[in-house]
Amino acid sequence: MARKLASKKTEIRLILGLLITFLGVLMAAGLVSAQTPTPDTAAPTLTPTPADSAEASVVIPTAIAHPAADGVGSCFECHIDLGDKQTEIAEKWQASVHGKAGIGCADCHGGDPRTDEMNMSMAPEAGFIGIPPRLVIPNICGGCHSNAQRMGQYNLATDQYAKYMTSVHGAKLEHGDTRVAICTDCHGTHDVKEASDPSADVYPLNVPDLCARCHSDTSLMESYGIPTNQYETYAASVHGEALLTNRDVRAPTCASCHGSHGAKPPTSAEVVNVCGKCHTATQEYYQESLHSRIGDNAPKCWTCHGNHDIFRPDESMFVHPKPPEERHCGTCHMDDQSFRMDKSRFALREDRRCDTCHHEGSMIMAQVAALRTALTNADAAYRKAEETIKRAKSRGMIVTEAEAKLTEAYTSLVSARAVLHTTKLPRVTELTEAAVASATAAEAIASSELGENFIRRQAMIVSLSIIGLIVATLSAVKHELYKQLQ
Amino acid sequence: MAGKSFEHPVSLWEQLVNWADERYHMRELMHALLHVYIPRDAKTYYLGGITLFLFGVQAVTGTLLTLYYQPTPDTAYDSVLFIMGNVNFGWLIRSVHAWGANLMIIFCGLHLLRVYFQGAYKPPREITWGVGVALLAVTMGFGFTGYLLPWDQRAFWATTVGSEIAGSVPGIGEHLLRFMRGGPDVTDATLSRFYGVHTLLLPLTLAAFLTAHVVLIHQQGLANPKKPAKPRRLSAEAGSQPATENERALPFFPHYVLGELIAWYVVLALLIVLASEFPAGLEEKANPFQTPSHIKPEWYFLSLYQMLKLVPRTVGVLAPMVALPILGLLPFIDRNPEVAPRKRWFAILAGVVVLTGLAALTIWGLSS
Repeated sequence: MARKLASKKTEIRLILGLLITFLGVLMAAGLVSAQTPTPDTAAPTLTPTPADSAEASVVIPTAIAHPAADGVGSCFECHIDLGDKQTEIAEKWQASVHGKAGIGCADCHGGDPRTDEMNMSMAPEAGFIGIPPRLVIPNICGGCHSNAQRMGQYNLATDQYAKYMTSVHGAKLEHGDTRVAICTDCHGTHDVKEASDPSADVYPLNVPDLCARCHSDTSLMESYGIPTNQYETYAASVHGEALLTNRDVRAPTCASCHGSHGAKPPTSAEVVNVCGKCHTATQEYYQESLHSRIGDNAPKCWTCHGNHDIFRPDESMFVHPKPPEERHCGTCHMDDQSFRMDKSRFALREDRRCDTCHHEGSMIMAQVAALRTALTNADAAYRKAEETIKRAKSRGMIVTEAEAKLTEAYTSLVSARAVLHTTKLPRVTELTEAAVASATAAEAIASSELGENFIRRQAMIVSLSIIGLIVATLSAVKHELYKQLQ
Repeated sequence: MAGKSFEHPVSLWEQLVNWADERYHMRELMHALLHVYIPRDAKTYYLGGITLFLFGVQAVTGTLLTLYYQPTPDTAYDSVLFIMGNVNFGWLIRSVHAWGANLMIIFCGLHLLRVYFQGAYKPPREITWGVGVALLAVTMGFGFTGYLLPWDQRAFWATTVGSEIAGSVPGIGEHLLRFMRGGPDVTDATLSRFYGVHTLLLPLTLAAFLTAHVVLIHQQGLANPKKPAKPRRLSAEAGSQPATENERALPFFPHYVLGELIAWYVVLALLIVLASEFPAGLEEKANPFQTPSHIKPEWYFLSLYQMLKLVPRTVGVLAPMVALPILGLLPFIDRNPEVAPRKRWFAILAGVVVLTGLAALTIWGLSS
C-alpha cells in the first residue's frame, strides 16, 4: 500500500514537472516572440536581415603561416641573381610598399624562407603554394589586411576584404568566376604601391583608366551584359573633365560613386546619399523637396543629371525647346493610375527636363517657368556685369570693388541653383533677387570706371595735341638755328 | 643843347639777372655751363638726357606718391588702391611713375649701348663710364625696391623669389638674404626697409653719381665717334676737353639743348599714352600663404631668372656679380684705343653676342 502511494506520488511529481516545464517553454517562447519583430512592425531587428547577411557571413581569412625569415629572407637573395623575370620580380618587390615594410615572399607564396635549399624552402610540405590561384588571392591579401592588429601600425583600414566579398566582383568570384577583378588586378602583384603614389594605378587620377581596362573590354563585358562606353561618357562629363583634363584629384572617380573594394552600382535608394557625399548642401535642399518624399519612384539626382554623362547644369534643363509632340503617360503613370518612374525616358540628355514629367499648363509648370525666369535673369545680370568688368579691367582700370560685388552675385546665384532642388519658388527668388542686386551694383561700378577711362582718353588726346604743337614749334626753331649755323 | 643819353629800358627779368649777377656772378656761371661746344659727329640720340629727364619725372611723381602711400603691410595695398581710385590724378601719377621706371631702365640701357658701340667709354672717359655703370645698377635697385611697395601678390612673390636668389650667393647668401628682408621672410620689416632704400638711400646715391657723371661729361665734353682720343696728349683735338668753336663743333646751347628738349617732349608724350592706355595694375593683396602658380620677376631681371634655371645656382648667382664689375672696369680691360667699329670688331661682336643672349633669355623667360 505504502509502495502504491509512493509510486502515485512519483507519477504526480512527474506530471507536475512536465506541466511546469511545458509552461516554462511557453513563457520563454512568449518572451522570444516579444523580442523578435514581425515583418510588419518597424521595430529594430536583432537578427540579420537578408540585405546585410552577406556582409555578416563574411569569414575573415587568416594569414599564411610560415617560419619567420632571417633578415631579408633567402627567397630574395637567390631570386635577385636568377636573372630575367625572376630578377625583375625581386627588384619590383624590393621597391614596393611590401618590400619596404618587410612583407616577404612567403607571406603570399608560403614556404620556408629560412633555408636556401630549394627542395626545402619551396616544398609543399613547407606550405609553399607557388603562384596563388586567382580564386584564393583575396583570401591571401585579406589574411593580413583584415587583421586590425597588424594593420594598425600602417594606419590602414581592415574592411577591404569584407567590402570586396559584398561587391559584385567578390560575389561573382565566390561563385567561381575568376574573370572578375581581384586585388592584384588593381593594386599589382609584386609592385604594390601606396594609393597616394601618383604612379599607382589606384591613384585617383589613374582610376578611370584602371577600371576601363576591363570595363571598356567588349569581349569581357559582353557575357555580363554591361555596356562598355562608360569611360568615354565619363571622360566627356563635367566630372571627367575635372579629373582627367584639369587633373583635379578632388573630382569624383569611378570609385567615388561605385566604391572601390565594395564596387557595385548605386541603387535608386542609395543614389541621393552617394551624390550627397560631395554635394552636401544640394542633398539637404533636395531632401526638403516634394520629389524626395515620393520614395523609390521619385526623380533622383540621376533623373535630371544623368550618371556617367553628368553635364554642366544650366537653365535649359527646365523645359524642352519645343514641347514634346507625344506625351508619354507611361513615364509617370501605371495603367492603374498609380505613380511610377520610367527611367528610360531620361536616358537622353535632351529629355532630362521638367516637362518630361509635368504637364504643360499645369500649376507646377507655371512654377517651373517662374523658377526658370528668376534664374535666367540672375544669370544674365551676372554675365553682363562680368563682361563690363572684363572690359574695364582690360583697359587697366582698378575694378576691385566691382569684383567684390560680382563675387557676392556669384555666391547668391550658386546658392539659388542649389536651393532650386527644394523646388520652392520664394526661397529661390530671394536668392536670385540678391544676385541681380549685387550684379547690378558691380555693373554700375565697372561702367563708371569705363566712363572714367573715356575721359582719360580724351584728356590724353588733348595733351598729345599740345605736346605735338610744342614739338612742331621747337623743331621749326631748331631748323632755323641750324640753317643760321651753316 | 646838352647831349641827352637815351638809355635802353631794362626789363624786370634783366634787373633780376643783374641783381643775381652782381652778387653771385651768375652770367659767368651760366656761360661756363651752357656755352660749350660738342663735336658735330657726336651722335648721342639724346639717350643720356632722356634718362636724366625720366629721373626728374620719377622724382616728382615719386614725391607725390609719398603723400598718400603708407609703407606697412596692413595699409600699403589699400593706400595704393586709394591713390588709384580716390586721389585726383592719382592713377596718372602712379601710372607715369610705373612706366617711367621701365622707360628709365630702357633708356639707361640704350645709352650704355650707344656709348659702348661708339667706343665712347675709352680713355680719358674711364671714370665717366664706371659711374654710368653704377647709375644703371642704382636704377635697377630702384626697380627692385619699388616693385614690392604696392604689396600685392605679384610684388610680394617677385620680391620673395628675387631675395631668394640673393640668398644663394656662396658663403654670405644667408646673411645677404636676412639683410635684404630684415629677417628670414618677406615681412613688414622688408617693406619698411625697401621703402627707406627706395625713397631716401637710392635717390641720394643716384643724385651723387648723376652729379659726378654730368660734371665729368661737362669737363671732358662729348667723345668724337670718328676720332680716337689720345690720352697722352691732352688737347681739345684729342677729345679730352670740350670742343671749341669751329666749323666741326656745335653749340651746346641752344642748338643741342633744343634737340634734347624736343626728345623730352616726345618721351613725355609716350609716357602719357602708356599711362592712359595701360595704367599701372594691381593684383590681389599680398598673401604669404597663397603662392601664385607663375611667379616672374620684372622683365629687366628676367634674363638672369631664366639663366638660373639653366645653369647651376652658384654660377647663375655669381655671373651678374662678376659681370657688373667687369662692365664697370671695361675701359681698363679693353686697351684698344680705336673707336671705329671695323677696327674693334671683337668688342662689337662680343657686344652683339651678349646683347642677343640677354634678349633671347628675356624672351624665353617671358614665354615660359
